[in-house]
Amino acid sequence: MIEIKDLSFKIGDFTLRDLSVDIQDKEYFVILGPSGAGKTVFMECLAGLHRIKSGRIQLNGKDITRQAPEERGLSYVPQDYVLFPFLNVRDNILFGLKQKKLPYSVEQKCLNDLAVLLGISHLLERDPRTLSGGEKQRAALARALAPSPQILLLDEPLSSLDVQTSKYLRLELRRIHQEMGVTTIHITHNHVEAEELADRMAVMVRGSIEQVGQPQEIFFSPATPAVSDFVGSLNILECTACRQLVPGLMEVDCGGMLIILPHDEGAMQKIAISPRDVYVSDVLPPGPSVNRYKGKIAALDTSTTSAKIDVKVGNNMIRAEMPTELAHEMSLTIGKEVYIILKLRRLKVLGSQQSASPEAYHWYYQEII
Amino acid sequence: MKKLKGAGGDRAFRAATISALALLTLFFVVIIVSLLTFTDWGTMVNALVAPETLFAIKLSLITATITTILAIAIAIPVAYAISTNEFWGKSLVDSLLDLPIVISPVAIGAALLVFFNTPMGEGINNHLLRFVFSVPGIVLAQFTIVSALAIRLLKSTFDSIDPRYEQVSRTLGCSQPAAFFRVVLPLAKNGLIAAAILTWARATGEFGATVTLAGATAFKTETLPIAISLSLSSANIGQAVALIVILVVISLTALLIIRKVTGRKYVI
Repeated sequence: MIEIKDLSFKIGDFTLRDLSVDIQDKEYFVILGPSGAGKTVFMECLAGLHRIKSGRIQLNGKDITRQAPEERGLSYVPQDYVLFPFLNVRDNILFGLKQKKLPYSVEQKCLNDLAVLLGISHLLERDPRTLSGGEKQRAALARALAPSPQILLLDEPLSSLDVQTSKYLRLELRRIHQEMGVTTIHITHNHVEAEELADRMAVMVRGSIEQVGQPQEIFFSPATPAVSDFVGSLNILECTACRQLVPGLMEVDCGGMLIILPHDEGAMQKIAISPRDVYVSDVLPPGPSVNRYKGKIAALDTSTTSAKIDVKVGNNMIRAEMPTELAHEMSLTIGKEVYIILKLRRLKVLGSQQSASPEAYHWYYQEII
Repeated sequence: MKKLKGAGGDRAFRAATISALALLTLFFVVIIVSLLTFTDWGTMVNALVAPETLFAIKLSLITATITTILAIAIAIPVAYAISTNEFWGKSLVDSLLDLPIVISPVAIGAALLVFFNTPMGEGINNHLLRFVFSVPGIVLAQFTIVSALAIRLLKSTFDSIDPRYEQVSRTLGCSQPAAFFRVVLPLAKNGLIAAAILTWARATGEFGATVTLAGATAFKTETLPIAISLSLSSANIGQAVALIVILVVISLTALLIIRKVTGRKYVI
């Protein structure tokens, strides 16, 4: 277990203030925060790359605050992976093991096991500069895991990847964590990444940890205005009736709005969706009318880069968010009639972590879309 | 300036810059051609194989190589220290180390000569190693001039290395010295090679400080540039031309090797 107590650090004009958090053994812990929140500096403090002025870091009861990076047993994967360009992938992975001076057979077994686990056996002789983003990420992970660290530190590991690769590697990170069981601290500004990967998470804003808890707790009950501003207040809809369409897919009535969503656990009371997952259009969007509703703009806030639009649909008030620039292009004004679409895969049933079966999605796409 | 707007302006600007480049290139080509055509090949070959020329070539190559080894050995830690540390008075130290690049080599040679006339300098010169008017003096004079160049080149190499390579290696179990030898030096390889070649070429051509400290004695402290000076002063133009051609060939070869090694990315 890693315990961070009252950690403070100043770099230039930026200050990390009294950060305290405990991270459990084998936990996948995500630190979520906007750019400039100090996440990377915090991670560098944990790795021992900065001399911290006050506070304490304990790893399994041992104070490591003043220890050099190589004595801490923490492996660090920076944002753009920083693979050594003068070594091939094999030697990059072996880099940390060579420092331990292990027998050759042990080194080779570790190398081969990691290469198989991460699916990079075919890349071992390659120059790292010729790898794709996803391949580099896997090679950097293998290099970090090779010396058997007690803690794995991942700095925005998916931010430079395309959407598809990032999505696939999120699953891979989860799988690798389950197989290796290494306590992992992952920093990101991406809500989806945090929600999908974290056992627990912290929200960091302007150098302070604002809230620590399970993703559902943070997304559904932001503790401070800063957290609420960053994660966004969810739309929570009361369900008055529901019926099963096919196993794994339900239709619910929320105050007159008929919503289709993945669920097969029987009746439900509340469903939630993030404002970022509500699309707004000033013209009738093409395609099926599933989870598409007509409403009227009741309130509009374009004072920041992310416009907040409250749309009245029946008895419900649904909040949507979109880039302010786009809201201006669509000439959105209070009282204007618009269409909203709720993104099916992002609808959550409160109190349930279940997602729809592949069959349910197949039915949805075949029958409805 | 108004007339130089648009595509016409682009063409005029391009023509002006390329003309400047062509003129300067032509200037150097004319100088080299005039060297090669000044004397006939027979005289040049005879001058090349003359014992004095062979001595000057041998002494220049040996002293420049020793100087380069010493200069690079000291420049690596110094350049790394300046590149990676912030300390009070850093810009003063940095400027001091650059002095030999901007001060006249003759002045540096004279300063060294003055030092060897102080009690401490005399003690070193008389009891430890004789520098004044001797071969070690050539190495010391060359070292004083070229070490600044080696430091400047290596500092720019270390500056260009992303510090996160070293940081990552630390988290992978390397101590700071291990990270330096296993990561920083391999990353600096091309810069090191370029710095060594340029330092060597500059040491080979060093004249002012060398002649002031080590003197210009034939068959004793006669490096290639000193041999050129001696040939000119004795009106032996054929030998002087032969020696200049050798220096040009050595320097051009060094520059071509650097471009090959570093892919034209070295910075002076």
